[in-house]
Amino acid sequence: MTTADVIEVAAAALEGPGGLVVAGVSKVFSGRRGEVAALADVDLHVDHGELVCLLGASGCGKSTLLSIIGGLDHPTSGRVTVGGDEVIGPGADRGMVFQAYSLFPWLTVRRNIEFGLELAGVDHAARTARVDELLGTMMLTEFAEALPRELSGGMRQRVAIARALAPEPDILLLDEPFGALDAQTRRHLQDFLLALWRRTGATILMVTHDVEEAIYLASRVYVLAPRPGRVLEEIDIPFGRDRGPTVKRDPRFIDLREALADALG
Amino acid sequence: MTLPGSCVASGTRGRRQPQLLRVFGPIDLRIRVALGVAGVASVFALWLIGAAAFAGGSLIPTPGATWTAFWDQWHTTLRGDLAASSYRILVGYTISVAIGIVLGMAMGAMRSVEAFFEPPMGFLRYIPATALVPVFLLLLGIDETPKIWLIVVGTVFFNILMMADAARAVPRELVNAAYTLGAGQWTVLRRVVFRHSVPGIVDAARVNLAAAWLMLVVAELLAANNGLGFGVERAHRFHAFPAMFALLMVFGIIGLVSDLLLRALRGRLAPWAEG
Repeated sequence: MTTADVIEVAAAALEGPGGLVVAGVSKVFSGRRGEVAALADVDLHVDHGELVCLLGASGCGKSTLLSIIGGLDHPTSGRVTVGGDEVIGPGADRGMVFQAYSLFPWLTVRRNIEFGLELAGVDHAARTARVDELLGTMMLTEFAEALPRELSGGMRQRVAIARALAPEPDILLLDEPFGALDAQTRRHLQDFLLALWRRTGATILMVTHDVEEAIYLASRVYVLAPRPGRVLEEIDIPFGRDRGPTVKRDPRFIDLREALADALG
Repeated sequence: MTLPGSCVASGTRGRRQPQLLRVFGPIDLRIRVALGVAGVASVFALWLIGAAAFAGGSLIPTPGATWTAFWDQWHTTLRGDLAASSYRILVGYTISVAIGIVLGMAMGAMRSVEAFFEPPMGFLRYIPATALVPVFLLLLGIDETPKIWLIVVGTVFFNILMMADAARAVPRELVNAAYTLGAGQWTVLRRVVFRHSVPGIVDAARVNLAAAWLMLVVAELLAANNGLGFGVERAHRFHAFPAMFALLMVFGIIGLVSDLLLRALRGRLAPWAEG
């Protein structure tokens, strides 16, 4: 074992299960007009049980970064590890929720949530129990047999979150999950996500372009700058897990909002 | 500000929209039915005028004469011809749709498969399949085989290309969602790409079925001793124009019925994609 290996093993142990480390990740897209650097040397980490937000304006590569973490895209250089294991492709250990339209329209809510469990070979009884539990958590029990098109936008995103959570991922990756919702539903789902995080202790990495959303939800925020996408700042959010809408009137919240809005430019 | 032509009448604003001819405008169900009936009636009217104009009903038979000829044939050759033609269509078109689904899904979903098949298919599909009739008859004889393969060749390229389009239209979000839920390539192809393409596949099969009948009739006109196309040729030989027209009506009815059946099938297989 080299020293680097020892450090890596020690680091992996410190992260605990499910800890995500993004180390020196760059992404270059080659297009017709030459090469475009989408991400330049991004370093970040999400520790077990944390809720971290990636905040950035459009075009800063935040969705590309999340895709790379999800294994749907590959970095040009650098590496991503979860629990010390290198990410080489997509898997149910990194549940993903997309902005919209990601539910299978031919499957009922129940069958959508069941999808990952079925693929994992979980038997019928265990599947039903897990889905019932998630339907309860997500307040979707009475819509178990509905098709996605019969649901409102907010309900669809709750199903998408439940579906990603079903196979018990080490980390939940949310790609602007509330971006397509109206303001009221959005606030409602933000509180919902906080409650879920408190209850399950899930490790969550969420991409957003909404400054308030990032401060309201996250324990830490990475601010990304565009062209090429890179980490501009890492900011600790001083509110604990049990925060509620009242923190939005906290002077620190207002200061953070100013500071982050300035950082975004 | 007053622009020329911006004011239709003094004291009103905007352009009054027509009720019946409004682009994408809604129409009353009663008007819809009435227009449909009128459409069918005008076809009959044209038919009657034609029958009267051309050789007093001997070249173009009247609807009445056609009706009689239909029942005459029904009791003699029609059921056998119908069965023979339906069998050829069923076998040939099933093969065509099966190839269309397999290659279409693969081409639409995988760039490598597309890169391999696109160039040769771009060339082959412009060869009119009807021009292959002599070749097929020489190569495959005059029994069922050449007729069935003509149906396949005459429709399979359309099926492949349209079904590949259906596969291409699968939202990437669904594919990515499946991957991040632990799905492999085969599962994504089967449970996402194919599943999402089902309505598109049925639509393609529905549209291209007309080409299958076209190929069949060409084959039966040239080399057959039964089948609806052969029936047309036989009627031609005996100058039995009412019988020929009765067969034309049969083609129309088969088309209408299969269209309705495939629409119903689409609704059964993919109720989520309705309306």
